[in-house]
Amino acid sequence: MRSEVQVTRSRVRPTDVLVVLLLAVVAARFLLPGAFDGPALRAWSTVFVAVCLQALPFLVLGVLLSAAIGTLVPPSFFARALPGRPALAVPVAGAAGLVLPGCECASVPVAGSLVRRGVAPAAALAFLLSAPAINPVVLVATAVAFPDDPEMVAARFVASLAVAVVMGWLWTAFGRGEWLRPPVRHEHAAGTGRAAAFLGAVQHDLVHAGGFLVVGGLTAATLQVVVPRAWLDAVADEPVLALLVLAALAVVLAICSEADAFVAAGLTSFSLSARLAFLVVGPAVDVKLVALQAGTFGTRFAVRFAPATFVVAVAAAALVGWWLL
Amino acid sequence: MNRLTQHLLLVLLGGVVLRVSLGQGYLAYVQAGFRPLLVAAGAVVLAVGLVGVLRTRPGADDAHPGPRVAWLLLAPVAVLLVVAPGPLGAWTAERQAAPVAAPRSGTPLGIGADDPGESHRTLTLSGYAVRTQQSDTSPLAGRDIRLVGFLSPREGGGWYLTRIRIACCAADASAVRVVLDGEVAGRADQWVEVVGRYAPSLPHPTEGYPEPAITPDAVRPVPAPADGYED
Repeated sequence: MRSEVQVTRSRVRPTDVLVVLLLAVVAARFLLPGAFDGPALRAWSTVFVAVCLQALPFLVLGVLLSAAIGTLVPPSFFARALPGRPALAVPVAGAAGLVLPGCECASVPVAGSLVRRGVAPAAALAFLLSAPAINPVVLVATAVAFPDDPEMVAARFVASLAVAVVMGWLWTAFGRGEWLRPPVRHEHAAGTGRAAAFLGAVQHDLVHAGGFLVVGGLTAATLQVVVPRAWLDAVADEPVLALLVLAALAVVLAICSEADAFVAAGLTSFSLSARLAFLVVGPAVDVKLVALQAGTFGTRFAVRFAPATFVVAVAAAALVGWWLL
Repeated sequence: MNRLTQHLLLVLLGGVVLRVSLGQGYLAYVQAGFRPLLVAAGAVVLAVGLVGVLRTRPGADDAHPGPRVAWLLLAPVAVLLVVAPGPLGAWTAERQAAPVAAPRSGTPLGIGADDPGESHRTLTLSGYAVRTQQSDTSPLAGRDIRLVGFLSPREGGGWYLTRIRIACCAADASAVRVVLDGEVAGRADQWVEVVGRYAPSLPHPTEGYPEPAITPDAVRPVPAPADGYED
């Protein structure tokens, strides 16, 4: 009887859906040759693919590191490496961001696995914010992009580290555990070793984070095609408005933190402080990153963390810009 | 979504990334130097997917439905296979143009001797544009200059010679444009080689900032370069 019930229910299997979708893709390729020739659509496609391709290596690096932390490094290591009090662990974790050379896509899965490994969330979040902004690759790129303004590198380092530490402390003071939803990872069946656990973690995170990366890529490509550059130059002369506009631009463009300095250098009609806001906000809050955070820590976390980070980052950039630039 | 579908998606994604990065296709999206990273990432994704497919036993764990968002992994695969978008061109150039910053150095940048065996000097578009904005343009005076780029339309008629530059990927594209100050017949996105002489900068038709210009003596269609963003 039971088998009959299952047959009549005849659920559509995901593999069938995949085959149908693939056939549709192949059919579109051959049956609609001219349908995708519009210049706006082609530009959108190029930017979308570019965002995905450019982020993929860093995402893979982050997923591999995260799986290694989750399966190979014992939790006791972090208990010994980080100070026990969150207030002290936050700056230490923030400074540890110096050693992960990658962009923001790598730091989200790593921060997720740190939380699962028992690291205080405040410290993991400080690391999440500082790693993409203050690592050596990013600082060197900034120095190369601003050859005439070496103080930009110092300003970026100070402001980004300040954002990471302040957000970590804010989480210590006001954060609630129930906002965080570290992904439940179903453990492998008994009898599988570390290698299988590692592989399982990599597979799970790649599929999951990869999907959210695509969400970010779709958003960034759409906004890039919709917002023309001329709108920006119209506000460049208003100091406060310019700073806010470049901060908002960093959110919607979702440029990799290793490349954003070159883009900022090209925004020559804006003040250095406004461009600093672009560099400080971008690695901390952008549409791609928020999508990844929502995927890793849950939507309830992302809707609180991202706006708070934006405000702190704009304030830090304005203060440091006023002080150093 | 069951395990097998997740692994098949990874195989597709890894395969497409490898195909794009082992051929010339990746140059439309990212910097040339990015290739080893892309190949490595594609290989890891493909390998993880393949191992998963081989190890999946039918009906083993359908109790754990995978994340629905993973279906989106099919989007870049489909866009790459169906649209196969090329490098950014005239449409983007129109929207990403910005004034050229004048160099700060006091002494004017020179342009060097003519190309070997030729009576002109080849410059990059951005190299030429910067030199037209310095206060002293004497290094350009009386010289024949060769530039290569694609045509993009200018507001109010006429053409720009254009290049798109990227720092990391096509999401950070910016355009360099030089006004072709003379009669030129062509179509948008056509790659051309221009030999001409320095012309004083012209005001942008609506914004008014100075735009570098060149008086073209010879305009010849050329094939698009493999890396359209190199400048």
